[in-house]
Amino acid sequence: MIAVVDYGFGNVRSLWNALDFLGAEAEITRDPEDFDTADRIVLPGVGAFGDAIAAIRELGLEKPLTRHALETRKPMFGICLGMQLFANHSAEHGGHDGLGWIDAHVDRICPKDRDVKVPQVGWNTLQVKGAEWLFSGLPAQQNDVYFVHSYHMLCTDSHDLAATTNHGGLVTAAISRGNLTATQFHPEKSQDNGLRILQNWLEHDFDA
Amino acid sequence: MLKKRIIPKFLVHGGRLIKGVRFTENWREAGNPVSTARVYDSYGVDEMIFVDIDATPNGGVVDGRIIERVSEEVFMPFTVGGGVTKLEQIEKLLAQGADKVCLTTAALRDPGFVTRAAQRFGDQCIVVNIDYSDTPEGRQVFAACGGEATKHTAFDWALRMEDAHAGEIMITSIDRDGSMSGYDLDLIHRLSERLEKPLIASSGAGSLDHCRQALDAGASAITISSMFIFSDHSPIKVRSYLSSNGLNVRSQTGSRS
Repeated sequence: MIAVVDYGFGNVRSLWNALDFLGAEAEITRDPEDFDTADRIVLPGVGAFGDAIAAIRELGLEKPLTRHALETRKPMFGICLGMQLFANHSAEHGGHDGLGWIDAHVDRICPKDRDVKVPQVGWNTLQVKGAEWLFSGLPAQQNDVYFVHSYHMLCTDSHDLAATTNHGGLVTAAISRGNLTATQFHPEKSQDNGLRILQNWLEHDFDA
Repeated sequence: MLKKRIIPKFLVHGGRLIKGVRFTENWREAGNPVSTARVYDSYGVDEMIFVDIDATPNGGVVDGRIIERVSEEVFMPFTVGGGVTKLEQIEKLLAQGADKVCLTTAALRDPGFVTRAAQRFGDQCIVVNIDYSDTPEGRQVFAACGGEATKHTAFDWALRMEDAHAGEIMITSIDRDGSMSGYDLDLIHRLSERLEKPLIASSGAGSLDHCRQALDAGASAITISSMFIFSDHSPIKVRSYLSSNGLNVRSQTGSRS
Protein backbone atom coordinates (compact mmCIF):
# COMPACT_ATOMS: atom_id res chain seq x y z
CA MET A 1 0.00 0.00 0.00
CA ILE A 2 1.15 3.53 -0.80
CA ALA A 3 0.32 6.06 1.93
CA VAL A 4 -0.49 9.52 0.58
CA VAL A 5 0.03 11.85 3.54
CA ASP A 6 -2.94 14.13 4.10
CA TYR A 7 -2.00 17.08 6.31
CA GLY A 8 -4.31 19.62 4.68
CA PHE A 9 -1.76 21.06 2.24
CA GLY A 10 -1.72 18.71 -0.68
CA ASN A 11 -3.63 17.88 -3.83
CA VAL A 12 -4.10 14.42 -2.36
CA ARG A 13 -6.96 13.47 -4.63
CA SER A 14 -5.09 14.22 -7.89
CA LEU A 15 -2.20 12.17 -6.60
CA TRP A 16 -4.44 9.33 -5.53
CA ASN A 17 -6.11 9.37 -8.97
CA ALA A 18 -2.76 9.09 -10.74
CA LEU A 19 -1.51 6.27 -8.47
CA ASP A 20 -4.83 4.48 -8.86
CA PHE A 21 -4.62 4.82 -12.65
CA LEU A 22 -1.17 3.20 -12.50
CA GLY A 23 -2.62 0.26 -10.60
CA ALA A 24 -1.12 1.08 -7.21
CA GLU A 25 -3.16 0.61 -4.05
CA ALA A 26 -3.04 4.07 -2.52
CA GLU A 27 -4.56 5.35 0.69
CA ILE A 28 -5.04 8.98 1.73
CA THR A 29 -4.20 9.10 5.42
CA ARG A 30 -2.80 11.02 8.37
CA ASP A 31 -2.71 8.02 10.68
CA PRO A 32 0.90 7.11 11.63
CA GLU A 33 -0.15 3.44 11.93
CA ASP A 34 -0.83 3.49 8.19
CA PHE A 35 2.70 4.77 7.62
CA ASP A 36 3.97 1.69 9.50
CA THR A 37 2.07 -0.73 7.28
CA ALA A 38 2.64 1.21 4.03
CA ASP A 39 5.26 -0.05 1.56
CA ARG A 40 5.92 3.48 0.41
CA ILE A 41 4.93 7.00 1.43
CA VAL A 42 4.16 10.04 -0.72
CA LEU A 43 4.31 13.54 0.77
CA PRO A 44 2.45 15.97 -1.49
CA GLY A 45 2.22 19.69 -0.81
CA VAL A 46 0.67 22.86 -2.14
CA GLY A 47 0.79 26.10 -0.19
CA ALA A 48 3.05 28.07 2.08
CA PHE A 49 6.06 26.35 3.73
CA GLY A 50 5.54 27.77 7.23
CA ASP A 51 1.88 26.77 7.50
CA ALA A 52 2.58 23.34 6.04
CA ILE A 53 5.40 22.42 8.44
CA ALA A 54 3.32 23.76 11.34
CA ALA A 55 0.44 21.50 10.31
CA ILE A 56 2.74 18.45 10.10
CA ARG A 57 3.98 19.17 13.63
CA GLU A 58 0.54 19.89 15.07
CA LEU A 59 -0.82 16.65 13.65
CA GLY A 60 2.07 14.76 15.27
CA LEU A 61 3.37 13.55 11.90
CA GLU A 62 6.95 14.82 12.04
CA LYS A 63 8.27 12.06 14.30
CA PRO A 64 6.69 9.06 12.55
CA LEU A 65 7.54 10.40 9.08
CA THR A 66 11.13 11.15 10.06
CA ARG A 67 11.48 7.66 11.54
CA HIS A 68 10.47 6.12 8.20
CA ALA A 69 12.60 8.56 6.21
CA LEU A 70 15.81 8.05 8.18
CA GLU A 71 15.50 4.81 10.22
CA THR A 72 13.22 2.25 8.60
CA ARG A 73 14.28 3.87 5.30
CA LYS A 74 10.99 3.39 3.53
CA PRO A 75 10.83 4.73 -0.05
CA MET A 76 9.40 8.23 0.24
CA PHE A 77 8.43 10.64 -2.52
CA GLY A 78 8.00 14.38 -1.91
CA ILE A 79 6.21 16.52 -4.46
CA CYS A 80 6.44 20.31 -4.88
CA LEU A 81 6.10 21.80 -1.39
CA GLY A 82 6.39 18.21 -0.10
CA MET A 83 9.87 18.14 -1.63
CA GLN A 84 10.84 21.45 -0.04
CA LEU A 85 9.79 20.15 3.39
CA PHE A 86 12.60 17.55 3.12
CA ALA A 87 15.12 20.42 3.50
CA ASN A 88 16.69 21.87 6.66
CA HIS A 89 15.27 25.32 6.18
CA SER A 90 13.22 27.56 3.90
CA ALA A 91 13.56 31.30 3.43
CA GLU A 92 9.85 31.65 2.56
CA HIS A 93 7.93 34.28 4.59
CA GLY A 94 10.62 35.03 7.16
CA GLY A 95 12.20 31.57 7.36
CA HIS A 96 11.14 28.22 8.80
CA ASP A 97 12.88 24.97 9.73
CA GLY A 98 11.97 21.94 7.63
CA LEU A 99 12.11 18.21 8.29
CA GLY A 100 15.88 18.16 7.70
CA TRP A 101 16.02 14.84 5.83
CA ILE A 102 18.13 16.31 3.02
CA ASP A 103 20.98 18.73 3.66
CA ALA A 104 19.50 21.62 1.70
CA HIS A 105 17.81 24.97 2.01
CA VAL A 106 14.90 26.42 0.09
CA ASP A 107 15.18 29.82 -1.54
CA ARG A 108 13.23 32.00 -3.94
CA ILE A 109 13.91 31.62 -7.67
CA CYS A 110 15.85 34.71 -8.76
CA PRO A 111 15.94 34.93 -12.55
CA LYS A 112 18.60 37.23 -13.97
CA ASP A 113 16.37 38.15 -16.89
CA ARG A 114 13.37 40.41 -16.23
CA ASP A 115 11.35 38.68 -18.94
CA VAL A 116 11.44 35.51 -16.86
CA LYS A 117 8.38 35.50 -14.61
CA VAL A 118 8.06 34.18 -11.04
CA PRO A 119 6.21 32.00 -10.12
CA GLN A 120 7.41 29.61 -12.75
CA VAL A 121 4.11 28.27 -14.10
CA GLY A 122 4.05 25.77 -16.92
CA TRP A 123 5.97 23.09 -18.78
CA ASN A 124 9.74 23.02 -18.75
CA THR A 125 12.43 20.60 -19.91
CA LEU A 126 14.46 18.43 -17.55
CA GLN A 127 18.23 18.06 -17.55
CA VAL A 128 18.90 14.74 -15.86
CA LYS A 129 21.88 14.83 -13.46
CA GLY A 130 21.46 11.54 -11.59
CA ALA A 131 18.94 8.83 -10.60
CA GLU A 132 18.49 7.91 -14.28
CA TRP A 133 16.02 5.20 -13.28
CA LEU A 134 13.48 7.88 -12.35
CA PHE A 135 13.45 9.29 -15.88
CA SER A 136 13.84 6.11 -17.90
CA GLY A 137 11.51 5.87 -20.87
CA LEU A 138 10.93 9.62 -21.22
CA PRO A 139 11.30 10.96 -24.77
CA ALA A 140 14.78 12.54 -24.86
CA GLN A 141 13.81 15.78 -26.60
CA GLN A 142 10.33 16.09 -25.10
CA ASN A 143 10.71 15.40 -21.41
CA ASP A 144 8.71 18.48 -20.30
CA VAL A 145 6.96 18.36 -16.95
CA TYR A 146 4.64 20.79 -15.18
CA PHE A 147 6.02 23.26 -12.64
CA VAL A 148 4.18 25.76 -10.49
CA HIS A 149 6.37 27.33 -7.80
CA SER A 150 8.25 30.43 -6.62
CA TYR A 151 10.82 28.68 -4.38
CA HIS A 152 13.18 25.78 -4.99
CA MET A 153 15.54 23.56 -3.07
CA LEU A 154 19.33 24.00 -3.11
CA CYS A 155 21.22 20.86 -2.06
CA THR A 156 24.52 21.10 -0.18
CA ASP A 157 25.67 17.76 -1.63
CA SER A 158 25.47 17.94 -5.42
CA HIS A 159 25.18 14.13 -5.51
CA ASP A 160 21.61 14.53 -4.25
CA LEU A 161 20.63 16.44 -7.38
CA ALA A 162 18.68 14.27 -9.86
CA ALA A 163 17.48 16.85 -12.38
CA THR A 164 17.47 20.57 -13.04
CA THR A 165 15.51 22.86 -15.29
CA ASN A 166 16.32 26.29 -16.68
CA HIS A 167 14.20 29.25 -15.63
CA GLY A 168 16.42 32.32 -15.88
CA GLY A 169 19.13 30.19 -14.23
CA LEU A 170 19.34 26.67 -12.85
CA VAL A 171 16.34 25.50 -10.86
CA THR A 172 16.32 22.23 -8.89
CA ALA A 173 13.72 19.93 -10.46
CA ALA A 174 14.35 16.61 -8.70
CA ILE A 175 16.50 15.08 -5.99
CA SER A 176 17.33 11.53 -4.99
CA ARG A 177 19.21 10.25 -1.95
CA GLY A 178 18.84 6.59 -1.01
CA ASN A 179 15.20 5.94 -0.14
CA LEU A 180 14.27 9.61 -0.56
CA THR A 181 13.05 10.91 -3.93
CA ALA A 182 11.43 14.26 -4.60
CA THR A 183 10.35 16.44 -7.49
CA GLN A 184 9.62 20.15 -7.62
CA PHE A 185 7.34 19.54 -10.61
CA HIS A 186 4.01 17.72 -10.39
CA PRO A 187 4.29 14.24 -11.91
CA GLU A 188 0.58 13.65 -11.21
CA LYS A 189 -0.19 16.64 -13.46
CA SER A 190 2.43 16.08 -16.16
CA GLN A 191 0.38 13.84 -18.44
CA ASP A 192 2.32 10.91 -19.99
CA ASN A 193 5.75 12.03 -18.78
CA GLY A 194 4.56 12.44 -15.21
CA LEU A 195 2.76 9.11 -15.13
CA ARG A 196 5.94 7.47 -16.41
CA ILE A 197 8.00 9.07 -13.63
CA LEU A 198 5.52 7.91 -10.98
CA GLN A 199 5.54 4.44 -12.51
CA ASN A 200 9.36 4.39 -12.46
CA TRP A 201 9.30 5.28 -8.77
CA LEU A 202 6.68 2.64 -7.99
CA GLU A 203 8.74 -0.02 -9.78
CA HIS A 204 12.18 0.97 -8.51
CA ASP A 205 13.83 -1.52 -6.18
CA PHE A 206 15.34 0.63 -3.44
CA ASP A 207 17.00 -2.36 -1.72
CA ALA A 208 19.04 -3.32 -4.77
CA MET B 1 13.16 26.97 -21.11
CA LEU B 2 9.63 27.46 -19.90
CA LYS B 3 7.09 26.91 -22.69
CA LYS B 4 4.32 29.29 -23.69
CA ARG B 5 0.99 27.76 -22.68
CA ILE B 6 -2.14 27.07 -24.71
CA ILE B 7 -5.19 26.83 -22.45
CA PRO B 8 -8.74 26.01 -23.53
CA LYS B 9 -11.17 27.95 -21.36
CA PHE B 10 -14.57 26.39 -20.71
CA LEU B 11 -17.67 28.04 -19.30
CA VAL B 12 -19.90 25.80 -17.22
CA HIS B 13 -23.65 26.43 -17.05
CA GLY B 14 -26.04 23.93 -15.48
CA GLY B 15 -23.37 21.22 -15.56
CA ARG B 16 -22.78 21.62 -19.33
CA LEU B 17 -20.32 23.68 -21.33
CA ILE B 18 -21.60 26.71 -23.17
CA LYS B 19 -20.09 29.55 -25.11
CA GLY B 20 -21.54 32.94 -25.98
CA VAL B 21 -20.52 36.31 -27.32
CA ARG B 22 -19.63 39.33 -25.13
CA PHE B 23 -20.82 37.49 -21.98
CA THR B 24 -24.51 37.94 -22.91
CA GLU B 25 -25.46 36.99 -26.47
CA ASN B 26 -25.74 33.99 -28.69
CA TRP B 27 -25.19 31.24 -26.12
CA ARG B 28 -24.43 27.89 -27.67
CA GLU B 29 -24.16 24.43 -26.16
CA ALA B 30 -20.57 23.22 -26.18
CA GLY B 31 -20.62 19.72 -24.70
CA ASN B 32 -20.05 17.69 -21.58
CA PRO B 33 -17.23 19.03 -19.37
CA VAL B 34 -15.73 15.66 -18.49
CA SER B 35 -15.61 14.14 -21.96
CA THR B 36 -14.41 17.46 -23.39
CA ALA B 37 -11.61 17.55 -20.83
CA ARG B 38 -10.60 14.06 -21.91
CA VAL B 39 -10.47 15.08 -25.57
CA TYR B 40 -8.36 18.18 -24.90
CA ASP B 41 -6.07 16.17 -22.64
CA SER B 42 -5.45 13.80 -25.53
CA TYR B 43 -4.51 16.80 -27.67
CA GLY B 44 -1.86 17.63 -25.08
CA VAL B 45 -3.05 21.14 -24.22
CA ASP B 46 -0.97 22.66 -21.42
CA GLU B 47 -3.71 23.45 -18.90
CA MET B 48 -7.47 23.92 -18.79
CA ILE B 49 -9.68 26.53 -17.16
CA PHE B 50 -13.27 25.90 -16.06
CA VAL B 51 -15.42 28.84 -14.99
CA ASP B 52 -18.90 28.23 -13.60
CA ILE B 53 -20.82 31.28 -14.80
CA ASP B 54 -23.93 30.44 -12.75
CA ALA B 55 -22.05 30.58 -9.48
CA THR B 56 -21.61 34.31 -8.75
CA PRO B 57 -25.07 35.43 -10.03
CA ASN B 58 -26.73 32.63 -8.03
CA GLY B 59 -24.63 33.23 -4.94
CA GLY B 60 -23.21 29.72 -5.19
CA VAL B 61 -19.83 28.20 -5.87
CA VAL B 62 -18.45 26.18 -8.77
CA ASP B 63 -19.81 22.64 -8.90
CA GLY B 64 -17.20 20.43 -7.22
CA ARG B 65 -18.56 17.19 -8.65
CA ILE B 66 -17.43 18.25 -12.10
CA ILE B 67 -13.97 19.03 -10.71
CA GLU B 68 -13.73 15.59 -9.13
CA ARG B 69 -14.77 13.85 -12.34
CA VAL B 70 -12.31 15.86 -14.44
CA SER B 71 -9.50 15.13 -12.01
CA GLU B 72 -10.25 11.40 -12.25
CA GLU B 73 -10.01 11.54 -16.04
CA VAL B 74 -7.08 13.80 -16.84
CA PHE B 75 -3.62 14.04 -15.31
CA MET B 76 -2.90 17.63 -16.16
CA PRO B 77 -3.24 20.99 -14.43
CA PHE B 78 -6.49 22.87 -14.37
CA THR B 79 -7.88 26.05 -12.86
CA VAL B 80 -11.44 26.53 -11.65
CA GLY B 81 -13.42 29.65 -11.00
CA GLY B 82 -16.92 30.82 -10.21
CA GLY B 83 -18.33 32.26 -7.01
CA VAL B 84 -15.32 31.57 -4.79
CA THR B 85 -15.33 33.95 -1.82
CA LYS B 86 -14.04 31.87 1.12
CA LEU B 87 -10.77 30.11 1.98
CA GLU B 88 -12.67 26.92 2.83
CA GLN B 89 -14.09 26.85 -0.70
CA ILE B 90 -10.58 27.04 -2.16
CA GLU B 91 -9.40 24.28 0.15
CA LYS B 92 -12.28 22.11 -1.01
CA LEU B 93 -11.70 22.76 -4.73
CA LEU B 94 -8.02 21.93 -4.38
CA ALA B 95 -8.86 18.78 -2.47
CA GLN B 96 -11.25 17.84 -5.29
CA GLY B 97 -8.39 18.02 -7.78
CA ALA B 98 -8.12 21.62 -8.99
CA ASP B 99 -4.61 23.09 -9.07
CA LYS B 100 -5.44 26.77 -9.15
CA VAL B 101 -8.44 28.90 -8.37
CA CYS B 102 -9.54 31.86 -10.43
CA LEU B 103 -10.95 34.93 -8.64
CA THR B 104 -12.76 37.77 -10.46
CA THR B 105 -15.64 39.28 -8.48
CA ALA B 106 -14.30 38.24 -5.07
CA ALA B 107 -11.06 40.12 -5.75
CA LEU B 108 -13.02 43.29 -6.57
CA ARG B 109 -15.31 43.06 -3.54
CA ASP B 110 -12.47 42.28 -1.13
CA PRO B 111 -8.90 42.68 -2.46
CA GLY B 112 -7.61 41.42 0.90
CA PHE B 113 -9.12 38.04 0.10
CA VAL B 114 -6.55 37.59 -2.69
CA THR B 115 -3.74 38.18 -0.20
CA ARG B 116 -5.21 35.87 2.43
CA ALA B 117 -5.74 33.13 -0.15
CA ALA B 118 -2.17 33.53 -1.44
CA GLN B 119 -0.78 33.33 2.09
CA ARG B 120 -2.70 30.16 2.81
CA PHE B 121 -2.31 28.32 -0.51
CA GLY B 122 0.72 30.04 -2.05
CA ASP B 123 0.71 32.80 -4.67
CA GLN B 124 1.00 30.26 -7.48
CA CYS B 125 -2.44 28.89 -6.62
CA ILE B 126 -4.36 32.14 -7.11
CA VAL B 127 -5.19 33.42 -10.59
CA VAL B 128 -6.89 36.82 -10.64
CA ASN B 129 -9.05 37.33 -13.72
CA ILE B 130 -9.96 40.82 -14.88
CA ASP B 131 -13.11 41.28 -16.98
CA TYR B 132 -13.04 44.66 -18.71
CA SER B 133 -14.80 46.59 -21.44
CA ASP B 134 -13.92 49.71 -23.41
CA THR B 135 -15.95 52.61 -22.04
CA PRO B 136 -15.40 56.39 -21.95
CA GLU B 137 -13.52 55.69 -18.68
CA GLY B 138 -10.98 53.54 -20.55
CA ARG B 139 -10.67 49.78 -20.10
CA GLN B 140 -13.17 49.64 -17.28
CA VAL B 141 -13.18 46.60 -14.97
CA PHE B 142 -16.47 44.77 -14.37
CA ALA B 143 -17.64 42.43 -11.60
CA ALA B 144 -20.36 39.76 -11.60
CA CYS B 145 -19.84 38.36 -15.13
CA GLY B 146 -19.83 41.81 -16.69
CA GLY B 147 -22.96 42.90 -14.84
CA GLU B 148 -21.46 45.46 -12.50
CA ALA B 149 -19.15 48.34 -13.45
CA THR B 150 -16.33 49.29 -11.08
CA LYS B 151 -14.13 52.37 -10.82
CA HIS B 152 -10.97 50.45 -11.76
CA THR B 153 -9.15 50.31 -15.07
CA ALA B 154 -7.69 46.99 -16.23
CA PHE B 155 -4.04 48.10 -16.27
CA ASP B 156 -4.05 49.57 -12.75
CA TRP B 157 -6.11 46.72 -11.34
CA ALA B 158 -3.67 44.17 -12.75
CA LEU B 159 -0.74 45.88 -11.02
CA ARG B 160 -2.69 46.12 -7.79
CA MET B 161 -3.58 42.42 -7.94
CA GLU B 162 0.07 41.53 -8.52
CA ASP B 163 0.92 43.46 -5.35
CA ALA B 164 -1.89 41.63 -3.56
CA HIS B 165 0.01 38.37 -4.31
CA ALA B 166 -1.97 36.99 -7.22
CA GLY B 167 0.20 34.28 -8.80
CA GLU B 168 -0.99 34.99 -12.32
CA ILE B 169 -3.08 37.71 -13.93
CA MET B 170 -5.65 36.85 -16.60
CA ILE B 171 -7.17 39.61 -18.72
CA THR B 172 -10.54 39.06 -20.40
CA SER B 173 -11.94 41.63 -22.79
CA ILE B 174 -15.73 41.47 -22.66
CA ASP B 175 -15.93 43.22 -26.05
CA ARG B 176 -13.75 40.60 -27.69
CA ASP B 177 -15.28 37.57 -25.96
CA GLY B 178 -16.59 35.17 -28.57
CA SER B 179 -15.88 37.69 -31.33
CA MET B 180 -12.89 35.77 -32.73
CA SER B 181 -11.47 39.14 -33.78
CA GLY B 182 -8.06 38.95 -32.10
CA TYR B 183 -6.62 39.58 -28.63
CA ASP B 184 -6.15 43.00 -27.04
CA LEU B 185 -2.50 43.24 -28.08
CA ASP B 186 -1.91 46.74 -26.74
CA LEU B 187 -2.89 45.81 -23.18
CA ILE B 188 -1.03 42.48 -23.38
CA HIS B 189 2.10 44.28 -24.47
CA ARG B 190 1.96 47.02 -21.82
CA LEU B 191 1.05 44.69 -18.98
CA SER B 192 3.53 41.92 -19.72
CA GLU B 193 6.30 44.53 -19.70
CA ARG B 194 5.26 45.73 -16.27
CA LEU B 195 4.20 42.53 -14.50
CA GLU B 196 6.70 40.27 -12.81
CA LYS B 197 4.14 37.48 -12.75
CA PRO B 198 2.80 35.52 -15.72
CA LEU B 199 0.07 37.13 -17.82
CA ILE B 200 -2.68 34.98 -19.34
CA ALA B 201 -4.35 36.63 -22.34
CA SER B 202 -7.98 35.66 -22.78
CA SER B 203 -10.72 36.36 -25.33
CA GLY B 204 -10.48 37.19 -29.00
CA ALA B 205 -8.72 34.17 -30.51
CA GLY B 206 -10.13 33.48 -33.96
CA SER B 207 -7.14 32.52 -36.08
CA LEU B 208 -3.77 30.87 -35.71
CA ASP B 209 -2.11 34.21 -36.25
CA HIS B 210 -4.09 35.82 -33.41
CA CYS B 211 -2.49 33.27 -31.09
CA ARG B 212 0.98 34.08 -32.36
CA GLN B 213 0.37 37.83 -31.98
CA ALA B 214 -0.72 37.50 -28.33
CA LEU B 215 2.31 35.42 -27.38
CA ASP B 216 4.67 37.67 -29.34
CA ALA B 217 3.17 40.63 -27.48
CA GLY B 218 4.44 39.06 -24.25
CA ALA B 219 1.67 36.86 -22.82
CA SER B 220 2.94 33.78 -20.95
CA ALA B 221 -0.21 31.91 -21.88
CA ILE B 222 -3.29 32.30 -24.07
CA THR B 223 -6.77 30.94 -23.54
CA ILE B 224 -8.86 29.78 -26.48
CA SER B 225 -12.60 29.02 -26.43
CA SER B 226 -14.75 29.74 -29.51
CA MET B 227 -11.93 28.99 -31.92
CA PHE B 228 -11.58 25.46 -30.55
CA ILE B 229 -15.29 24.86 -30.09
CA PHE B 230 -16.68 26.36 -33.30
CA SER B 231 -13.85 26.17 -35.85
CA ASP B 232 -11.70 23.33 -37.15
CA HIS B 233 -8.54 24.58 -35.40
CA SER B 234 -7.34 21.92 -32.98
CA PRO B 235 -4.69 22.48 -30.30
CA ILE B 236 -2.32 20.38 -32.42
CA LYS B 237 -2.71 22.79 -35.32
CA VAL B 238 -2.21 25.82 -33.07
CA ARG B 239 0.91 24.32 -31.56
CA SER B 240 2.51 23.38 -34.84
CA TYR B 241 1.75 26.84 -36.27
CA LEU B 242 3.28 28.57 -33.24
CA SER B 243 6.28 26.30 -33.25
CA SER B 244 6.96 26.89 -36.95
CA ASN B 245 6.78 30.63 -36.18
CA GLY B 246 9.58 30.34 -33.66
CA LEU B 247 7.53 30.28 -30.46
CA ASN B 248 8.59 27.95 -27.68
CA VAL B 249 5.64 25.58 -27.19
CA ARG B 250 5.36 22.00 -26.03
CA SER B 251 5.02 19.20 -28.51
CA GLN B 252 3.82 16.24 -26.48
CA THR B 253 0.41 14.67 -26.39
CA GLY B 254 -1.60 14.02 -23.26
CA SER B 255 -2.13 11.46 -20.53
CA ARG B 256 -2.33 7.76 -21.39
CA SER B 257 -1.75 8.39 -25.10
